[in-house]
Formats: sequence, structure tokens, C-alpha cells
Amino acid sequence: MNQSTPVRRQQTLPQASANHSSKNVVAVALGIGLFGTLSACSQVSTATKERVTETESWVQQTQQTLGNSEHGAVELQQAKEKLGSAKSAVEKGQEQQALRSATQAHLYADLAVAKSQSANARKTANDVLAGIDVLRQETERTTPTQR
Amino acid sequence: MKSDHRIILSLAVAAVLSACSAVPERNEPLEAARTMVPQLEKSPRAGVAATDISNARKSLDAANRLAESKAKVTDIEYEAGNAVTSAQIAHEKILTAEATEESARGAAQRQVVLAEARGREAQASERRVESLEAQLADLKVKKTERGLVLTLGDVLFDTGQATLKSDAHGTLDRLAMALRENSARKALIEGHTDNVGSDVSNQGLSERRAQAVQSALMERGVARNQISALGKGENFPVATNDSAEGRQSNRRVELIFTEEQQPRIAADQP
Repeated sequence: MNQSTPVRRQQTLPQASANHSSKNVVAVALGIGLFGTLSACSQVSTATKERVTETESWVQQTQQTLGNSEHGAVELQQAKEKLGSAKSAVEKGQEQQALRSATQAHLYADLAVAKSQSANARKTANDVLAGIDVLRQETERTTPTQR
Repeated sequence: MKSDHRIILSLAVAAVLSACSAVPERNEPLEAARTMVPQLEKSPRAGVAATDISNARKSLDAANRLAESKAKVTDIEYEAGNAVTSAQIAHEKILTAEATEESARGAAQRQVVLAEARGREAQASERRVESLEAQLADLKVKKTERGLVLTLGDVLFDTGQATLKSDAHGTLDRLAMALRENSARKALIEGHTDNVGSDVSNQGLSERRAQAVQSALMERGVARNQISALGKGENFPVATNDSAEGRQSNRRVELIFTEEQQPRIAADQP
């Protein structure tokens, strides 16, 4: 036991020093955390806000374009949800989250428009093809092909 | 203390080994993007969605780089998700282009069907005219702007009378048969006179003669709605009234066969 005491003492001194330096580390970490928190509370950049505003306008425009059409409705809803996330992120000062959500909202709105246009084009094509069959039958009836 | 270190070391080694040997977690959006983007790039219609395909490629490349550098899953999924959405947009645009092309081909095909039908109708009409012409070949038939005109001379009636002579029956029989066989053709019966007598009496005489022919045809089975009668009096001479021969030419009944009215093709709308 007697032999071990000095050793413990020797350990005690560096331990005290370590305790001191760990306090410093904690203080620095707290400082960084506080700085980070303050940064987070600060507003997002004007460019990101503009991006969110522009996306909101695009989503509204998409809504008007689609009307009550079921084609693209799901994607439009996703766009609205992402827009909501983007606006929320702006309020929280989350720059990256706001930008990402705005980008996704824009893409979903684009997809909604593309799906709607695709469905309309398909319907038109189907109508044209069906019309040809009807026309063929009708003309064959009124002016039969000579066999 | 030593044993604690050994345990910690063993756990650390085990963790490292398990991390090395474990199959990396499958990232669904990234896998989907890796499948979709190259397919779209190979599409023969990629040109209609070049920007979207390019965007999809950029996002996929970014996602791949993040995955290789073992970045955060959320970052990888963000880029991969954008790649997938851009690819979906491109896909829809390609479908739109395909459908639009089909519509254009369909419209062209429709014109072909209509042109064929018109061609067949023209041929059928020609055949009908030829048929009627053939049936009335030995009668005095002329093709005019008004249609086929058959002129029946004054041989049908006695002078100043509207009663058909018995000699007329053979001609009327053939006319009636031709009309019955071409039931879609309408015939207008016009009575004409020379200028002997008053205008009023000539008008009345021309009307009665036209009606006499109409009645005779109806008696032979021609439908009432197929033939109509009209008196033109002395107002439309075809020859001079100064000679006996000319006046004889002017005393006549004409049958004008109008073109058949075909039912309009309902689908032939602009």
C-alpha cells in the first residue's frame, strides 16, 4: 500500500491537469454549440428564400394547370408537402433543408405537369385511333369496298 | 484493468471486422436511379427530355460519389431521389412524345380512310350514272350541269292535250323501271310548250303535261318523293318558234335526274 501511494499521487497530478483541460474542452464545445445554435436561429440566405418563393409560385401554377385532373394529383400533393417542409425550414433558419425541400417540391411539380400532359396526349391518341376504326366501319358501310 | 482493455479491444476488432464483412445496406432510391437513368439515356427518344435526363445523370453521379465516400444516407438519398424524379419526368415526356406521334399518324391515317371512301363513293356514283345512262341509252339523254336530262318530245301528247298517248307507255315503262332501280336518284319533270297560244294557257298546259308524266310514273311504282313535276310554259325554248320544226322541239317534257344525295359521313368533321 505504501508503495502505491506515491504512484497514486503521481497520477493525481496529471488527473488534475486533465480535469482542467477537459473543462476547457467542455467550454469550447459549449461555445461552438452556442455559436451553432445562434447560427441556426439566424435567417436563411435571400437566395434560398427566393428559391422557396419561386417554388411556391410554380406549385400554385401547377395546381391551376392541373385543375381537378387526377393525373399528376399525387405528385402535386408531394410537391405541396415538400413546399411546406421548405417553408418550415426557412422559419427555422435551416438553409440546406430549405433549399433541398424547395428543389424537391419543384421537381414534384414538374413531374405532376409531365404526368398530366402525358395522360392527355395518350387520351388524344387513343381517341384518334378509336375514331379511325369507327370511321372505317362507317365508310365501309356507306361505301363498301368492291371485292 | 488489463482484462477490461482486452474486452474493449476485442469488441472494437469484432466491430471493425463485422463492418468490413457485412453487406452494405441497400439504398433503394440509389438502386432505382442506377436502373432508370441509363435506360432513359439509351432511349431513342431521349432527345425530347434531354435536360431532364441530364439532370438525372448529374444527381445520380453525385449520389454515387456520396455513396463511395460513405457519406450520410440522407445526403445520398436526397441526390438519388432527385435523380429518380428527374428520370420520371423524362419518362413522362417521352411517353407524351410517343402519344403525340401516334396522334399525328392517326390523323394522317384518317385522311387516307376518308380519301379512300371518297374514291369509292365517286366510283359508285360513276357506276350509277353509267347504269342509268345505259338503261336509257336509246332515249334522248344528255349530261348537263343540272344532271342527266332526258327529253321526251311531243310524241307523248296530242297537240294542245295533256293526256298521254298510248305510244308513250313503252317509254314510260322503261323510265319507271330505271327510276325504281336507281331509287336514290331524284327526277324533276319539267313541262315546256311552244309559243302558240297565250302564256297562261301554255303555262297550264306545261304543268298538266308534267303532272301527267309524274302520275304515269307513280302508277308504275316510282315513289312519290322521287319525282316532282313543274310547268315551265313557253319560257325556255330550245329552238326557234318561227319554224314548225323548232316549235316541235320546244313542245317537250324533260326529266332531270339529280345527283344522288349521299348520307354525310358522320365522322367527316373538321
